[in-house]
This record gives sequence, structure tokens and C-alpha cells, in this order.
Amino acid sequence: MKELKEKTINHLSALSIVWVVLVCILFCSRLTSVGAASICTNSQAGCHVITLANLFDRVIQHSAKIQSFTNYLHSEFEQYFLPGKNQIGRVSRNCHTSTILTPNGKENAQSMAREELTEVILKLLLAWRDPLWQFHQSMAHHHDFNNFSSNKALEMSDMVHELRKGVEKVSEKMQKLGIISNSIRRLASPETSVQNDSEQHLMKDYDLLYCFRRDSNKVQNYLMILKCRIVPEYGC
Amino acid sequence: MRKSLGMTLLWFVLVFAPRAEGTRYSPPGKPTLTRCRSPEKETFTCWWEPGSDGGLPTTYALYYCKENSDAVHECPDYQTAGENSCFFNKNDTSIWVNYNITVVATNALGSSFSDPVDIDVVYIVEPNPPERLTVTVMEDTSWPFLRVSWEPPHKADTRSGWITLIYEIRVKLEQETEWEMHLAGQQKMFNIFSLRSGGKYLVQVRCKPDQGFWSEWSPASQIKVPEYFHQEKSVWLLVTVFSAFIFLILTWLLHLNSRSLKHFILPPVPGPKIKGFDNQLLKNCKSGEVFSTLVVSDFPPTASSNYEDLLVEYLEVYVPTEQEQLESKKLHNGCLKCEGSTSDSDSGRGSCDSRTLLLDKCGEAKEDERQKDQRSAGTDAERQQQGWEGEAMAYAHEDMVSPDISGGRVKTWPSVFSPLPQFSLHPQEQQSSLEMAKQHYLSDSLFPPGSTTSYFTQPVHSIKEVLGPSYWEFSSGSKQSDLLHPHMPSCRQLQAHSDVNISRIGRKEVPPPAGLQSTEYADIQRVTQGETVLVQPKMPQGEDYSKVKGVDRDNMLLLQREGMESDEQQETNGSKEDSCTSPTVTTTKKIHSATRIRGEMLLAANGYVDTATICSQPIQ
Repeated sequence: MKELKEKTINHLSALSIVWVVLVCILFCSRLTSVGAASICTNSQAGCHVITLANLFDRVIQHSAKIQSFTNYLHSEFEQYFLPGKNQIGRVSRNCHTSTILTPNGKENAQSMAREELTEVILKLLLAWRDPLWQFHQSMAHHHDFNNFSSNKALEMSDMVHELRKGVEKVSEKMQKLGIISNSIRRLASPETSVQNDSEQHLMKDYDLLYCFRRDSNKVQNYLMILKCRIVPEYGC
Repeated sequence: MRKSLGMTLLWFVLVFAPRAEGTRYSPPGKPTLTRCRSPEKETFTCWWEPGSDGGLPTTYALYYCKENSDAVHECPDYQTAGENSCFFNKNDTSIWVNYNITVVATNALGSSFSDPVDIDVVYIVEPNPPERLTVTVMEDTSWPFLRVSWEPPHKADTRSGWITLIYEIRVKLEQETEWEMHLAGQQKMFNIFSLRSGGKYLVQVRCKPDQGFWSEWSPASQIKVPEYFHQEKSVWLLVTVFSAFIFLILTWLLHLNSRSLKHFILPPVPGPKIKGFDNQLLKNCKSGEVFSTLVVSDFPPTASSNYEDLLVEYLEVYVPTEQEQLESKKLHNGCLKCEGSTSDSDSGRGSCDSRTLLLDKCGEAKEDERQKDQRSAGTDAERQQQGWEGEAMAYAHEDMVSPDISGGRVKTWPSVFSPLPQFSLHPQEQQSSLEMAKQHYLSDSLFPPGSTTSYFTQPVHSIKEVLGPSYWEFSSGSKQSDLLHPHMPSCRQLQAHSDVNISRIGRKEVPPPAGLQSTEYADIQRVTQGETVLVQPKMPQGEDYSKVKGVDRDNMLLLQREGMESDEQQETNGSKEDSCTSPTVTTTKKIHSATRIRGEMLLAANGYVDTATICSQPIQ
């Protein structure tokens, strides 16, 4: 009897092990198949191709997200650190991106070529890479600012970087599609440089936020103009 | 010379004449820039609020300078936007550029500058409300819905992507006050569901750029939803039918279980139980036998006995004889309404619903029960009478204890049980006393247990002189209560009175005389309230009984009291009976006659007069 029992137990355990292994194989194969499908290049068959419209939508969504972040940070700064608004002393604000020629009106923007517009966007985004990083550093050091804002500053720096990558992809796509010429220069380093002033950190930060808020709005607007000019399916 | 004179005069006039009139000129007050708005992010307008003009004509000028430029410009257009405004056209407007604007008020005496204002046009955009709002009812599906569509304000250029607008809709029924808000995002079309059939709706829409202010609400568009009640009707019909079906089932179930429910909600009230009470004997109204069975060996209970047993409700028949069992069984069979009662010798088990107690045949059956009980009780009492030396004394004292009682008495057990002093009773007297007691008890049977009737003890012999005014006051008190409430529907109120009185009596303790041994009849009320058993002689006996002095020729009871006639008590009897015996057939006359008849018996009996007589049967 005992032997019989042992035999049955062994059989059962073997069966269960085999079953488990089969299940694992099945699942793993599924996963790998999914994984295999995730990496997709244009030439591969069965790939889901992202259209330019989709790309534009993603990029614009990303930019909108950045803008909302900036608004929040700016309002927080204004609320806690600079109660007096519209001070005469702050008129002399000089954003470091003021050297970049950007269209300041609808006609100007619409009369600008697509390539130029794309280039302006990329320039702006690149110009903010370093200052935002520095801003995050200063945020981390100022313990009077809450952690949430400090994290947001870091996030913003990352997001701007990603947005720039995204816009680059869009421009690539457009070039590929022949919508724009290949005259866009690849920018490696920002044209403008920011001096790290040590005096009046808070003021500098606030000005920085103000400038960035404006520039993010510019980027958003230019992207929308581009989109409505190139792929006006909906939203225009 | 004249010229200079004229000039000085003129100058004087100019300067002092106003002073002479009483007015003062001053430089203008400080103007304030109230707001700047751009409807389409291409032009913008600024408005200001002038200060006091100082009594002189004042002119206003707006100056601005752009960001990072020191050049000061003046407002290009003061007219287009109206009074106290400055309009910047497309050529003068730069987006993403900081403007620093100041307004200057100038009059003859001076000028004043307003506070400067920094604006960036992109943050002051307030578009016009959306245009061409259309609302239609879509009835493709069974439940109609509203489709709302609109167009952006024509000035705002959304087509080129220059401005991105988000929209918001609000809906309400015409008669309501609260609006229902819906955020529509960037789409220009929206569906509204869950409409009221036949309702009139108002719809409005507004818009806002991603950075800026909400526009005004568009003019309301009205729409009437058609009636689609017929669709709902079928559903309601189904619901009604279904619920009716369920209701029917429930009623049927309820009907099936009606009896058990009845017993659950209105449990039968247990009737009084008396040890050894024989219902059947009492039914037959055979006096001698009735009370013989009632005599219990250990009655009256000794001090060590449990007081709670003495309560009518608590009494159990502990020595059921065969006869009693048979008779109780018969009784139960005969009583049609007594369902579910167990047959045993306990006389109280025959009771049914409390409601039937007074009105139904069961009431009669109960009477018989009571008779039986009383019979057995009477026999018990008989046996014990010899042993009660000095009881009368006790009672007398008890009576004196409570002179100011003003209510009825509590009868916690039938008068028969009250310990009697050692009266040498003739057998005949006994008989009559028992009969009287029976009658008395019959009266009780028609009340809920514990009702008050007044009892008058009648210690015949030596106690006469001892019993004094206390008795009289008892009865007077009870009489008063009767007169006051002659038409009490039930006797419970009397009982309530007596409850109070009992307790009051209890408080007024009189140290019992030496050799008093009437603790058996201590106040039940006190015991049941969880207090220590206060040895209080008196109570029920003292209150319940008044000594009957005698019966006069007119068959009137003469109750013992100092210097007063017993006629009043007689009246008391009658009135009490009236109040308590409504269901049975009694007239005052009858009662009196009954009482009189009883009165004859009373003297010979062991001295207890029952004032509440209900048994209308003539007593042999």
C-alpha cells in the first residue's frame, strides 16, 4: 500500500511539474512575441506606422504638459516669494533667449517658412536645456521651496529634453515625407549661454521661470501653427 | 496804466472769483488702469478709470514702452474702443512682449500719473463668445438626446492654429435655477443625454484660450424635447404587474401564517392563577365546594416564602388534584376562543387574548375559573383562620397608619386570601363569606388582573374599637376617586392610584405592635420593586377592607367608622361597580340589591365586604 501511494504521489508531482513548465513556456512565448513586436522600424512588415499627424499630436500634448507645469511653478513662485506684482524694477528683464529671433505676431509666424519655424522651435528647446538643469539644482538647494516644486523642476528639465527629441523626430519625418527641405541644421550646443549669477538667486529663478513660461508658450503656438499648416485633420 | 489795471483786475477775477463763489480747483486725481483685453491675440484695448478732475477740464493720455526699449509711445487710438480707452491695432501689438503702460491725467493746474501696469498680450486674451449655437434632438435611438454644436468666434483664428480654444456648455430646464456644466474640450460638438420627456431646455456655450480668460456666455438656445413617454409606459407596466404579483404572494403567505403572527405580535395575556382553584366547580356556583379546594395547606404563606408567589400572576397550582385537572380540561374544551392553551390544573392557563377577556365567551369561562380558584382559596382561608390571633390588631394598626390615602386600593390577590383574625365563624357564615368572596372575585374576573376594587375588611369582633378613622378615610378616598372618574373605561387607572397609595402607605411606617405576625401580607409592590422585604404589616388588608358594622333594615351596609354612616360607602360600591362592570349587565339598582343581599351575609361572614360586585346572579 505504501509503495503504491508513493508511486502515485511521484506521478502526480511529475505531471504537475510538466504542466507548470508548459504553462510557463506558453506565457513566455507570448511575452517574447509581444516584446519582439514592440521594436518596430518602418521597413518591417506588420508594423504599426505612426503618421505625421499622430506625431504632431504627441508632440503638442507633450508641450501642453510642459506649459501647465510651468504655469504651476510660476504661480507658486509668485505667490510665495514675490508678492508685489508689476514692480517697476522688474521691467528690465532680459531673457537669455531674446537673441533668438522669434515671430511676435500672427502674420510674422504665418509668413515664416516651415523649416524656419521648425528650426526656431528646436533652437528654443535647446536653449533651455542647461538653464533648466541649473534651475533644478538651485531648487534642490533652497529648502524653503517645497519638494514637490523641486521635483517638478527636475521633471521639466527632462520633459523639455524629450520634447526636443520629439520635435526632432517630427522634423525628420517631415523631411522624409518631403514636406520640408533638408536645410535644418542639427544643433549640438545652444547658441546662447547663461551666466551663473550668484546674486539674488530667488530673483533669478523667478525671472527664469517667467522667461521659460513665455518660451514654452511660444513653442506650443509654433507647433500648432505647423500642425495646422501641414496636417490640418482636426483641432484646427 | 489802464491796461495793467485791467490785467490785474482780470487776474484777480480769475483767481479769486471762484473762491468767492466757493469752489476749489485742484490738479486732477490719480487715474487707474482698470483692465486690458485682447479678443483675438492680435489687437488689444486698455481702459482706465479717471480720478477726480479737480473741477477743471482734464485730458488723459496713455503712454507705453515696450520691453527692453526705452522709447515711450503714446496710444495710437483713443476713439475706437470708446471713452477712456486706448486701442492697439495689429501693427502696434506685439505678442510675447512686455508692455509697460501708464495713464496721465492733465488739467490746468497739474497732472497726475497712474500706477504703471505690465502686460503681455498673450495672457490677457478674452475671446468673444462662440457663435452659431445649434441644438437638435436626435431620436435615432429609443432614448432621445440633444446634439449641441457651435462655431468659434469669427475673430479668433483657430483655423491657422494661432489660438487654441476650449469650450464649456451649460444646460438647464427652463423652470430650474441650477445649470448643468459640461466641459467640451476643443471639440465643437457635444451630446447631452438623460433628458426629461417633454422638457424645455436652455443651452449656452462659452470658450477660453489655453492662456487667458473665459468669454461671455453665448445667447441661450432653446429646445423642446418631444414626449417619449410611451416607451417608459411599457416599462412601468411591467414593473407594476411584477410588483402586484409579488404583493399577492406576500399577502397569501401572510394569510397562511396569520395565526402565528397574531400570537407573535399580541401574545396572550396570562390570567390570574390561583393555587388549587377549580374552574369547573366555580362554574356550577356551588359555594361550598369551590372554596374548599382553594384552601392550601401552607396558606397564608410564612415569612420565609417567596413574596412573588403571592402575586396573582405568579401563583401556580402545585397540587393538582384529579378533579381540578378534569375540570380545567373541560373548561378549556368549552372555551372556543382559548386556542393553544395547555390543559393543566393551573387556572390561569385558560386565559386567551387579553382583548377577549372582557367581551367574549372566554370571559365567562374565566369567571368560572375564578370561581374555582376562589373556592379553593376560600377553603384554605377557612383552615387558617384559627391560627390568626392578633391579626386583627395588626390590621387595625395598619389602618391607622395611612390616614390620608386618597385613592383606590390595589388588589393583588382576592380578598379571600387576606388573613382574617380569628373569627369564630359559623359554618354558615363561612359559606356566605365564601360566597361573597366568590361574588367579589367574579367581579374581579372581568377586570384585568390587578384591578382595583375596594375591599373592606371586616374584622368583626374585637377590632372594632381599634379600627378608626383610617378605614373611613380609605373609603372616602376611594369614593372620591370614583366620583371623580366615574366612567373609567377600565379599572387600570384605579389600580394606578392604588399603586401610588400603596407605596405611600409603605412610607408611613408604624412600628407594629408586639406580637404582630402579619408579615405575610406585606406590601407586594415593595417586594417586586426589588427592595428589601420590609416587614410592613397592613397594606392590602388594611386598605382593602373596612369593617362592616352591620346591615340595617333597608339592606344598607353599615360600615364601621367613627360616627359616620355607611351609606356613603354603599354609594362607593355602586359607583365603582358602574365603572368597572360596563360589559356585564348591571344596573345600579341591581347592584344595590346584590350588595344588600350580600350585606346580610356579610355580618355573619368573616367580616369582609366586597364592594365591587358583578355577579348578577342571585345568591342563595
